[in-house]
Amino acid sequence: MPGLNQFLILGAIIFCIGIYGALSRRNVVVLLMALELMLNGVNITLVAFNRFLTPPAGVSSSPFAGQMFALFVIAVAAAEAALGLAIVIAVYRVRHTVQVDQIDALRG
Amino acid sequence: MTEVVATIAFWVFAITAVVGALGVVWAKRVFHSAMFLTVALGSTAAIYVLLSADFLAAVQILVYTGAVVILVLFAIMLTPQSVELPTFAPGGQQLGGVIVALALLALMIAAITNQPWPLAAQPLDQPTSFGLGQGLLTTYLFPFELASLVLLVAMIGAILLARED
Repeated sequence: MPGLNQFLILGAIIFCIGIYGALSRRNVVVLLMALELMLNGVNITLVAFNRFLTPPAGVSSSPFAGQMFALFVIAVAAAEAALGLAIVIAVYRVRHTVQVDQIDALRG
Repeated sequence: MTEVVATIAFWVFAITAVVGALGVVWAKRVFHSAMFLTVALGSTAAIYVLLSADFLAAVQILVYTGAVVILVLFAIMLTPQSVELPTFAPGGQQLGGVIVALALLALMIAAITNQPWPLAAQPLDQPTSFGLGQGLLTTYLFPFELASLVLLVAMIGAILLARED
């Protein structure tokens, strides 16, 4: 059975692929997908900690604190995806593009 | 026996998750990226099962591979993709992205392997739905209510932003 380190490294790999995607792609929709990947890497880490580590005594009454964190991350990620994609559609309606190079009205 | 099955399942789903994640980043067409995202998120759900987080695995499938991927597909179909534009950053920035990601990965792996984790004597393998539900209505009641407010505001905001007027 794989131990804590394998799960943590898997989370780190997925997080870093997300960072690479966010830095190297030019399409806003793909950028949002890369963000979701990063949040997923973090969630794997949180759930792995929850299974393998003992919380210090008295800090948390629930044995599932790590999973609770992951649950809230999922909730916020869902809100972020909905808002981000709504912004993409609103920007597309005005600028007729979803390439971040061409959405530069705020560039100094 | 179950140990062997769990190990094989871990490697299979870990490799699918990483391949799916790389597919999201490398796919030329945005639609293919979305399909690879489904693969990556579904494999993550399987990883949750291996971590004995049954409730989270179900939530992952419902919220991510269900709702979020559908949202992404809607956004792709509502914004026709222009094929003549480069979908990747110029070479220099591409290289920078690779370097940043690899440096961060090396740093994280070094930190993970060198840290003496206070491992539990026994991995936590119990059904989670009861504990999570109880936690959400006692210790985590305030964040829970706040999360519902965040989702409501996000929903109203998304409707307002995407509305045609």
